[in-house]
Amino acid sequence: MSDNGDPEALRAEVRAWLQANVPKGWRAAMTNAPQEAFVEAQRSWFSKLAAAGYATPHWPPGWPGGGRSLAEQKVIFEEVATADAPRLILYFVALYHAACTLLECGNDAQRGRYLPGILKGDIWCQGFSEPNAGSDLASVRTRAELRGDRYVINGQKIWSTMAQYADHCLLLARSGKSDPPQGGLTYMILDMRAKGVTVRPISQITGDDEFAEVFFDDVEVPVENRVGEDGNGWAVAQTTLASERGLTLVELSHRMRNALHRLGAIMRERGRLDDNALRRDVGAVTAKVNALCALADQYLLRRIAGEEGPGDASVVKLYYARVLREFTALGMRISGIEGQYDSGFMRGATQETGNWTIDFFNSYNWSIAGGSDEIQRNIIAERLLGMPREPRDWKLASDRG
Amino acid sequence: MTSEQNDLRQSARQVLQDLGVAPDEDAVDARVVELGWLLVGAPEDLGGLGLGLECACAVYTELGRGLAGAPYVAAMIALDAICAGAAADQAGWVERVAAGEHVAAPLAASALSRSASGSRLNGVVSAVPSADRASHVLAFSGDTVALVPLSLAGVTLSARQAWDRTRRLFDVRFEEVALDSQLVLATGADAAALSRRIVAHREFALACDAVGGATALLEVTVDYLQTRKQFGRPLAMFQALKHRCADLKVQTAAAEALLFDSLHRAAASAGDNVLLAKTAKFLACSTFAKVAEEAIQLHGGIAMTSEHVCHLFVKRALLNQHLGAQGDAYETHIAASILSDR
Repeated sequence: MSDNGDPEALRAEVRAWLQANVPKGWRAAMTNAPQEAFVEAQRSWFSKLAAAGYATPHWPPGWPGGGRSLAEQKVIFEEVATADAPRLILYFVALYHAACTLLECGNDAQRGRYLPGILKGDIWCQGFSEPNAGSDLASVRTRAELRGDRYVINGQKIWSTMAQYADHCLLLARSGKSDPPQGGLTYMILDMRAKGVTVRPISQITGDDEFAEVFFDDVEVPVENRVGEDGNGWAVAQTTLASERGLTLVELSHRMRNALHRLGAIMRERGRLDDNALRRDVGAVTAKVNALCALADQYLLRRIAGEEGPGDASVVKLYYARVLREFTALGMRISGIEGQYDSGFMRGATQETGNWTIDFFNSYNWSIAGGSDEIQRNIIAERLLGMPREPRDWKLASDRG
Repeated sequence: MTSEQNDLRQSARQVLQDLGVAPDEDAVDARVVELGWLLVGAPEDLGGLGLGLECACAVYTELGRGLAGAPYVAAMIALDAICAGAAADQAGWVERVAAGEHVAAPLAASALSRSASGSRLNGVVSAVPSADRASHVLAFSGDTVALVPLSLAGVTLSARQAWDRTRRLFDVRFEEVALDSQLVLATGADAAALSRRIVAHREFALACDAVGGATALLEVTVDYLQTRKQFGRPLAMFQALKHRCADLKVQTAAAEALLFDSLHRAAASAGDNVLLAKTAKFLACSTFAKVAEEAIQLHGGIAMTSEHVCHLFVKRALLNQHLGAQGDAYETHIAASILSDR
């Protein structure tokens, strides 16, 4: 392993490792595969990456694979994208959300207890969103009632990715008064095997059930599982949400650029390679995908230099979501009626399965989740452009006397 | 961005700010000569500063932001061709141009042909900025790149009044104009390569102009929304308008990011940069046009008057889309790189 800190030396090393280790034919193997096979494939790919030290480059020095600079992390993500390796969807929350939150806001006992488990392949899910707390996350209602040395949890979470396979949950619950709404929230680690936890997978628009609802019925969480202070959960949750955006979007942007040739492949397959109207659309999308890669790269470089400005992350996320929609919609259009026939589902490929209708559906994951496009627009308008917030009080016109 | 690029950008921004939006061409020219900006791109062994295209582009962007005229951009394109080509007395050209002798270059495609004997040019060099103050114009077709004195017999200038009043454009018509071998920069395969260098430079310059213009126009628009009140509150408080401004900000940031990235790649590459430059130009100019289209609507009635600066930006944005290579060629050219057989 190269420890001299030269990102380009690392690049050659990672590239060679990926060439030897990316599972051959994983796309075909994951098409129409049952979810259990997908989980198994993710486990196997994770343990390879973790053993090579490439799963945890963002962890601090001292941890296996850790201590990589942001520049080196960027190299790893770029190479993983270029090699078209499967995405580690099942481990994303564990490696980024859970680990970064514990590293930054947890205590030594929590780090000692949970981080080794993450390295061994523990699966984590996120318990933030609720049916009535989506974009407005501060209106979380799940109750955490402190009784002696434990919290008793009652309520419901939704959109927890892969919760049906999770060992632990990052839970945001209300333990105190709600004024301001962010004030009464507490952050804790909940054991998904505990009594009173019910997981119900959600059948999605794509036919998959990657997300789940989680119900809590008098679930007990020991007080030592609390991360940060009681009532300080909002701040801890911000750490969780800020843990990965720059790198993930570099990876996903590069993946989209590498997938541009699929537009050509589908045009050839449909005999539409000479369709000039389509060619123009491909040209326009290509320019935007290149711009997206440049935007994501430059954002990460600013982060590395400590020059990130307010709203910068929102600019990249919003542009990614818009370009992804355009890219997948174009693929769907080129596919014609063939694209409307269900040709099976490819797991682990996220937005670039080549089944354009599914990719189009999945593109909404990026414009709705993680702060919807509309939330990003508010952030950009207010923090980057300095435009004022809307007034908080409101009244329906029909209520006026 | 290197510190040189940044210094030049800051200095240019200050100068343009002092001169005001859409400044007088003579006033800009005097500052350009005084500050040595014409030397930015020329190599050091010919008396230039050797700072390269990225630094020149920092100035182009600021000129676009301030809606300055285009003689500088044209002279820089011509001078770069002179330095890269095989003209006699290159150092003399650098010195004269830096001192204020204007050499012009076209901002749109030319339609030129050589006579049967090969020694005479016919046709039109289109969209040449401020040609009436130039001594020479850069003419290039596939197999010849040459400077042509505008005083020669057979050369006629016609002023073309564009809707964009911030740039003074001319068509230069050649009728059996004799080529002077001292002024021929390249022929044959060299001419094709030099022409591509000229085209890449021009596309990048237009992309910079558009990024500068789009950025400035969005600022003007947001400022206006902050000031103007309707229904008892600033327009900037209405989410319907904020979200549109946010979208424009994102698109402008993306066009700028692509431009930086492409310039950086071009600087690091010894090869042909036409595709990089065209892609940057396409996105920058379509983004500027989008910002312009929205700016009128977001301003409302005031943008339909000539007293407000909005229309100057809008007209420049529209013209920019039609300068450089033309029409739909951009998207199909970009697509070809993706759709070639693999």
